[in-house]
Amino acid sequence: MAKYSMVVDLDLCQGCRACTEACKIENNTGSGIFWMHVFRFEEGEYPETKMSFLPRPCQHCDNAPCVKVCPVGARFKREDGLVLTDFDRCIGCRYCELACPYGVNYFTWQSPEKSHYQDVVDWEDDDLALVTGGLVPPYKNPDLDLKYGEEQRYTAGGNHAKGVIEKCTFCVQRVEKGMNPACVETCPVNALIFGDTDSPDSPISHYLRVRQPWRLLEEAGTHPRVMYVGGKPPNPSLKEIERPKAEV
Amino acid sequence: MAVATQTSGSLLPQGVGRITRTWRLFFLGMILIAGFGLYAYLREVSSGMIVTNMRDTGTMGGAPWGLYVVMVEYFIGVSFAGIVIAAVSRVFRIRELQPISRIAELLTVGSLMVGLLAVLIDLGHPIRGVVNMLLYARPQSPFFGTFMLVAMGVLPASLVYLYLGARQDAAVVAEQPSRLQRLHRLWAAGYSDTEAERLRHRKVMFWLSVGIVPLIVVALSTEGLVFGIQVGRPGWFGSLQGPDFLVLAAASGLANLLVLTAIVRRLLGNTDRIGPSVFKWLGRFLLVAAAAALYFMIVELITLMYATPEHERLLADELIRGSYAWIFWVSIALMAAGLVLLLVQAGTRRWQIGPLVLASVLISTAALAERYLTVIPSQTHATLLPYEPGSYFPNWIEFAVVAGLFALGALLIGLFIKAFPILPLTDDEEVIADA
Repeated sequence: MAKYSMVVDLDLCQGCRACTEACKIENNTGSGIFWMHVFRFEEGEYPETKMSFLPRPCQHCDNAPCVKVCPVGARFKREDGLVLTDFDRCIGCRYCELACPYGVNYFTWQSPEKSHYQDVVDWEDDDLALVTGGLVPPYKNPDLDLKYGEEQRYTAGGNHAKGVIEKCTFCVQRVEKGMNPACVETCPVNALIFGDTDSPDSPISHYLRVRQPWRLLEEAGTHPRVMYVGGKPPNPSLKEIERPKAEV
Repeated sequence: MAVATQTSGSLLPQGVGRITRTWRLFFLGMILIAGFGLYAYLREVSSGMIVTNMRDTGTMGGAPWGLYVVMVEYFIGVSFAGIVIAAVSRVFRIRELQPISRIAELLTVGSLMVGLLAVLIDLGHPIRGVVNMLLYARPQSPFFGTFMLVAMGVLPASLVYLYLGARQDAAVVAEQPSRLQRLHRLWAAGYSDTEAERLRHRKVMFWLSVGIVPLIVVALSTEGLVFGIQVGRPGWFGSLQGPDFLVLAAASGLANLLVLTAIVRRLLGNTDRIGPSVFKWLGRFLLVAAAAALYFMIVELITLMYATPEHERLLADELIRGSYAWIFWVSIALMAAGLVLLLVQAGTRRWQIGPLVLASVLISTAALAERYLTVIPSQTHATLLPYEPGSYFPNWIEFAVVAGLFALGALLIGLFIKAFPILPLTDDEEVIADA
């Protein structure tokens, strides 16, 4: 059985947030919801300032606190390392959201039809129609409606139901077809590497033999499957700048 | 013996079955408030929880658990004292408290029902929540204790306790012809008040009293554990959350019981059945519970002020000097003021109902504020990753729903008082001797 992990090379990341966009398009997430969020940090005082970036997908922890607290087993850990949510079983208590120290969970506060930027963008605008081809959201990736894994559970359907929790799935619908997650596929500088760490020949295993990884909030004991190389762990002296509009 | 009232040819004690103009107004008022709460909740159901001010943590900088969870903690906490007082008065033969045992049981049942309703209201999928918690329950999750242990354990046990404790009285009032006779007969369920039956009944009540206290302690401790086991959220993680929850539950529960007892006493024409000794006992209990609660609050304050971890320190700053400071200091001031009022009465050995009620209101409000401070700031200001600080304050939808819950609880208690004698018709002091 493959064991999937992700490596984020902070020496390569330029904070372009293309991964964020790719994720939103692939998973049809709504307004204000960022399964893949890229922190843009500023450190120091002008003119001695320095910028750094930190992509933050779900960490797919091996010791996931969100899995432990779920009262109905809707949040679960798969054999291949993915931490997923069964959207059909989730009761919307939001306990997983508070148990997670990384802030990767999002609750669907309203129906998806209303949360796809309907109130901030005029989708009927002629200029916009030239780009969208006249398509009006919500766009729907049909793969998100399917059941996945040995468990055959609805784990990919982001934002398809009001009142449940959603988060990064490592694009389970793509992984099961042997493809990379959308963020990895889109990154223009290959700062995101995804693959099977149990296979010594996989690119991610090669990468980890050369570079020493660190994990986000290691002290929390969550054992994330997302590893970082280069850069340094965030600390309270870092100031987040250019925060994306995150209102629903 | 209780006050008996002639009503439409029937003789029922304690004003049971007699609906006066004041009661009609009370019921109408409560129904209107509950109805407005229902309207607000239906808006929430149709449009989603977007209509509340709750939002996600992290990039949204909000609080996914808002006023509803605060009220869950508060209501479930209030339920603690009622059943414990009723059980303790039976087990330890505190005769002075036995007249209010039914009031205490009723407060527990009412607050548990409203607390559980608040849990369901807070769920994104309430119906699925009930079904899935039965089908896929995971006892490893503290949420199991919050809901299942309370819904399937404490509430049924409290209802059985209330039912059995009142069965003897039901048999007495069932003999009186009235519109409620059918209900009273159903409640009495063939109780014949023979010596053997009385003995069996008392034995059951005794062992139920012994068993219900550990059950409610375990169930309510998980309320504290919901927060206490969260290593990833500064301000929550800690072994004291469970005991802290129980202590504050005792204080708020006793405060509410004292107020309810004073109201019932007034309703029954300042009956001698609820004499000064009842309030003296309640005042003493409340004094101990409030002192313990204030002790926990001060210990928490000192720990926060000296906290070394950066995130804990930032949270402490927010509580002590930041946007939550006014709630923090007001809660401590109210608790201290309530405690001083009780201490003065204890010192002068003059327990007066007016100051006791005032102290209870202060302590109950402080407990509610403390619950707010437990639940909210750790969500908006205690993220381990450097997200921007967030904010949360409930909006009218949330206030309306919560007001509806209070009205529903008051309605429940009011209906009970009009359907059944709220004070036991017979003393129950032989319980232990027989058991």
